[in-house]
Amino acid sequence: MTHRLEMKQMTKKYGEFTANDQVSLTLEAGEVHAIVGENGAGKTTLMRMLYGMEQPTAGEILLNGKPVSFRGPNDAIRNGIGMVHQHFMLFGEFSVAENIVIGYEPKQAGFFRRKEAVEKVSALSEQYRIPINPQARVSTCSVGEQQRVEILKVLYQGADIIVLDEPTAVLTPLEVKDLLQTIRNLAASGKSVILITHKLQEVMEVSDRITVLRGGRVTGTVSRHETNVDDLARLMVGRELEELSQRIPLEGKRLLHVDQVTVREKQTLLDNVSFAVHHGEIVGIAGVSGNGQSELLQVISGLRPVQAGKIHLAGADVTNKSVESIRQAGLAHIPEDRYMWGTAKQESVEENALMGYQRKPDYYRRGVILRDAFRQVVRGWVDRFAIKTGSRQLQELAGNLSGGNLQKLIVARELGQETPLLVAAEPTRGVDIGAMEYIHQALIEKRNSGDGILLVSSELSEILALSDRILVMYKGRIAGELARSEATEEKISVLMAGGNVHGSDQRAV
Amino acid sequence: MAAIRELCKSLVQPILAVMIGLLTGAIVIAAVGESVIGTYQEMWKGAFGSFYFFTSTLARATPIMLIALGLALAFRAGVFNLGAEGQMVLGAISATLVAIYLPAPGIVKMLAGLMVGIAVGGLWSLLAGFMEARFRIPLLISTLLFNYIAVLFASYLVTEPFQDRTGSAALAQTLMLDKSAWLPKLFSGMSVHAGFFFAIAAALLLFWVIRFTPFGYEVKMLGQNPLFARYGGINQIKVMLTGMFASGGLAGLAGTVEVFGSHYRFVDGALTVPNFAWTGMMATLLANSHPIGIVFTSILLAAFQTGAMGVERNTEVPLELASVIQAVLILFISAKFSYDWWKKRKAKGGESHGAA
Repeated sequence: MTHRLEMKQMTKKYGEFTANDQVSLTLEAGEVHAIVGENGAGKTTLMRMLYGMEQPTAGEILLNGKPVSFRGPNDAIRNGIGMVHQHFMLFGEFSVAENIVIGYEPKQAGFFRRKEAVEKVSALSEQYRIPINPQARVSTCSVGEQQRVEILKVLYQGADIIVLDEPTAVLTPLEVKDLLQTIRNLAASGKSVILITHKLQEVMEVSDRITVLRGGRVTGTVSRHETNVDDLARLMVGRELEELSQRIPLEGKRLLHVDQVTVREKQTLLDNVSFAVHHGEIVGIAGVSGNGQSELLQVISGLRPVQAGKIHLAGADVTNKSVESIRQAGLAHIPEDRYMWGTAKQESVEENALMGYQRKPDYYRRGVILRDAFRQVVRGWVDRFAIKTGSRQLQELAGNLSGGNLQKLIVARELGQETPLLVAAEPTRGVDIGAMEYIHQALIEKRNSGDGILLVSSELSEILALSDRILVMYKGRIAGELARSEATEEKISVLMAGGNVHGSDQRAV
Repeated sequence: MAAIRELCKSLVQPILAVMIGLLTGAIVIAAVGESVIGTYQEMWKGAFGSFYFFTSTLARATPIMLIALGLALAFRAGVFNLGAEGQMVLGAISATLVAIYLPAPGIVKMLAGLMVGIAVGGLWSLLAGFMEARFRIPLLISTLLFNYIAVLFASYLVTEPFQDRTGSAALAQTLMLDKSAWLPKLFSGMSVHAGFFFAIAAALLLFWVIRFTPFGYEVKMLGQNPLFARYGGINQIKVMLTGMFASGGLAGLAGTVEVFGSHYRFVDGALTVPNFAWTGMMATLLANSHPIGIVFTSILLAAFQTGAMGVERNTEVPLELASVIQAVLILFISAKFSYDWWKKRKAKGGESHGAA
């Protein structure tokens, strides 16, 4: 029997490093095949070889039984393979239809037939039940719509095999639902879909078969009916996951008080936001990114001024104070973008760890930083969080650490400040399951020791797992508050989309 | 071991640049029709051939080194101070006038002059920093334009109100300093003066500051990633202003020691014509802003210049040979930037392959 696609014993080596080690995979017509694995497991490398962006060191690709070799993405597209990248490649100023037909425009005597393009796109949209307005300008489309444009583009290009690279990372929960439906529609009409992801819930919902990669090898290919989330996680991580520590019930005093804070620039970014974080409490802030969470974090940590309102931390007024004085008042901060805010990539692990400690009395005497004493501390962090620093240890450049290890370093640095309040923004974004466990465990321990944590995350599962109270932000406002006991993914999703949850109490402060 | 390997690695590029510079110089010499080896021998002799020439090279290296050290601090903080020339000239003229007109013993005149030189150079530079912090006027532009104001203002001072009218020829210069206020020569009859020690001391101090103090750390992190520095609580404006003051102060000191140790009066053009400021910037770039490296690159660049004078004295090759070699040096130092960038890009590419 011939498969629509078969990848045989694919191996890719970069010097000493083996990114893919004899990975084999088959894909049938009408099948949704998920490829899951932690960061660095080799998912992307495998797909780059399929798409002609990398040449395999060894192995063979068979398309409908015939061996093929692609010299570039154009080859792959011509053979019916299309890829939707995580970052969209669209022209914002052009219409949806124009973006879809790009490169293969309907022409007559050298002229672009815009009307025909719109007709073709409408037909395609109906055929696969992917709703879209062909004449809308792409820059006015939501992220979910833009993704549909990308999918229609590969369909227009004649793809039978559609590769989706982490497609749900940028979507709201409702958009995710739509996307999963679209994927099922595509499969039903005979297309084959490869879904690259690390979200196991979605995998279980939509895929027929699942291939798990770990360390460049296949650790299992299973049918969805024979497996569950726990089994998949075990295959991905290679061990059992540990349960989070119990949360000790605590009734702490008010630690952070944000009172009617408003931030206005060209538009209102934060609109009269009020809430509090108490000692021994994790307050989670959910919301589709871009609804004011970043601004809220920046305001609290002193990186952005407020136009109205007050912020009190541990009893002190820190409104529009400098970062330095707010940190002294008791704030540590895991930033939402670790490369932009959290590190200097060209400096060593040690230098990155030192940020915020260089003038602390323990490590600073007679005008000089006490490097030896501090190095001991950093070594402690490296051990405790199992940070893999590479051969040069503390002198390794931070930019050479993997995302997960760098994140662990940042988390260790900020926890090490031992401040009463920790602002944790996307603390596990892009880190693997192992590192996520460590970080979640550390946050719970900090909470249990009586400190307060403000958690901002776009992962609902993370918010639900950690928070004592959940605030949902929508368009710069707190759209609602849910206690841990009453919070469900559905309720949060509705609030995130701007809806109302019946019975949510408005006890924000 | 690793530290030594690091050091060797950081030396490869500048040495390569110097080699290529010399090679290009060889082509120029050959084009003029002179013997390459003979000319370079003359150059070596002119720079290091005798104790006298050697000390002349050190004397020339002194202001270059001080300016380079100041720029190194600014560059490390990611601050582009292009105003070293103006800061040097304004510091020097203020110091000179104070030392001439302050009614005090010679040693006091000298010390007061040095202080004023540093302070005026520093404040002039600080003004540009303040304009950036307060009005968002880019330093790159303000410091560059401030050069004209400072140099022309100093020029006015010595052609009009403070011109030396004692001599028969009305040159654009101040009165001579009291002999008691002169910086002592290190060896009698040789041109190198006590300012050279200041430069070495400044290099060691800067090395210490950058390597061991919180301020040095903050400067470095600010240069590497300003957002990270801000996030970590480093006061960007304070560090920038301190850096601007220090780099301007060192430039002011450079001009002051040149006057107090070599010319003994402020002569219009005497500080700008030899291009100390821009040579200093080259020395910083060539040493990748490393204070100890700057000691050597400053002497090297000074040697090209004094050596070229020897070449001109004894061969048909013109003085401009030094400029050719320096120009090629700059070219290859900037090539280092693009080479680094290319390497980084490659490394990044490799990473994204590895991470799936």
